[in-house]
Amino acid sequence: MQRIDCMRRAAAMIGDSPCVVTMGQNWAEWDSVRPSDGNLQVRTLGLCSSIGLGLALGLQDRKIVVLDGDGAVLMNLNGLVTIGSEQPKNLVHLVFDNKIYEASGGTPTATALNANLRDLALGAGIRSSHEVGDVEAFGETLKDALATDGPHFITAIVEPSPEQGGHPRIDDVEKRNRIRIDEVENRYRFIRYLEGLEGRHLLEYPADIQPPTS
Amino acid sequence: MPNSDSAASILAALKGAGVNIIASLPDRGLLQVVEALMQDNEIRHVPLSREEEGIGICTGAYLTGKRCAIVMQNGGLLNSCNALATTAIQFEIPMLLLVLYSGALGDKAFPMLGQFTEPVLDGLGIPYHQLERIEDAPAVIGGALIQTYNVKKPVAVLLHKGML
Repeated sequence: MQRIDCMRRAAAMIGDSPCVVTMGQNWAEWDSVRPSDGNLQVRTLGLCSSIGLGLALGLQDRKIVVLDGDGAVLMNLNGLVTIGSEQPKNLVHLVFDNKIYEASGGTPTATALNANLRDLALGAGIRSSHEVGDVEAFGETLKDALATDGPHFITAIVEPSPEQGGHPRIDDVEKRNRIRIDEVENRYRFIRYLEGLEGRHLLEYPADIQPPTS
Repeated sequence: MPNSDSAASILAALKGAGVNIIASLPDRGLLQVVEALMQDNEIRHVPLSREEEGIGICTGAYLTGKRCAIVMQNGGLLNSCNALATTAIQFEIPMLLLVLYSGALGDKAFPMLGQFTEPVLDGLGIPYHQLERIEDAPAVIGGALIQTYNVKKPVAVLLHKGML
């Protein structure tokens, strides 16, 4: 199974849901199938799930989708533990497990050996934890996750993405991203996107903060 | 033992500043603060298992319009450095870091943490303020909240053990 085929399926299913996306080829492919100000590109490996939890706590009536990689998840297993404790109903955590540190040159991750992400999420208290190996199963599992209370955790076992062929080359997409957006612009656009979805003001300016009274 | 009156004052200062989501990880010196958070009904409290994830939670919640803080020991500050650098600072996210200052002058616990706390904050370019007297809590915490929104990056308040 190719990650981009899962992503195409997901992009057609999630509607306008805000997405938290780990950087690298994962982001490049997602940005190519679902270009949107509703995508936040995360630079800190592993932090997607925690940022997603913060968003889910802040917007409890809206599904928040996290698009993650195996190397990133392994770097912040604590994030799974806290999601297991908090039980955010609206969080959908998708992990594309290609069993390598893709952006760092292709060294195997622990999922290439003995670690299993579905089991780790279950052990963290995320009861709706699934592993899928084909696009149909991915689509069906995601459909259920979008329709029911979570938290949901879906590990899609995928092949490492080929560098050529029908896939967007990371250089091209990254080049476009660099022109289109940096982190600060991503932040503002993302907040404005959420404001549009919510139909209310979210961004606070310094003038909104009152001086302390004592 | 830490003092529950001090914990109540810190919580009141945070509420006075309008903070509505707080992530925490306990240290013995923070016990009363964390217990007060657990019993509070107004502030959304998120207990952590490692401090760095709290930087992510505060970031996500900030993007939805929440005012956020994290309560941790200075060892947790060191655990959080990558997330502070590549998320909170890079994306210009305001948040309060309430950091128990272990290993401060005269404190035998974690002397190395005491030695590294301010240099690490200086290295990250994070403004910080000492809170040594509990009566200063509203001014320091309220002022730090104004500063974090003005400078658009995290601001730390160093909580001294003697005060707690």
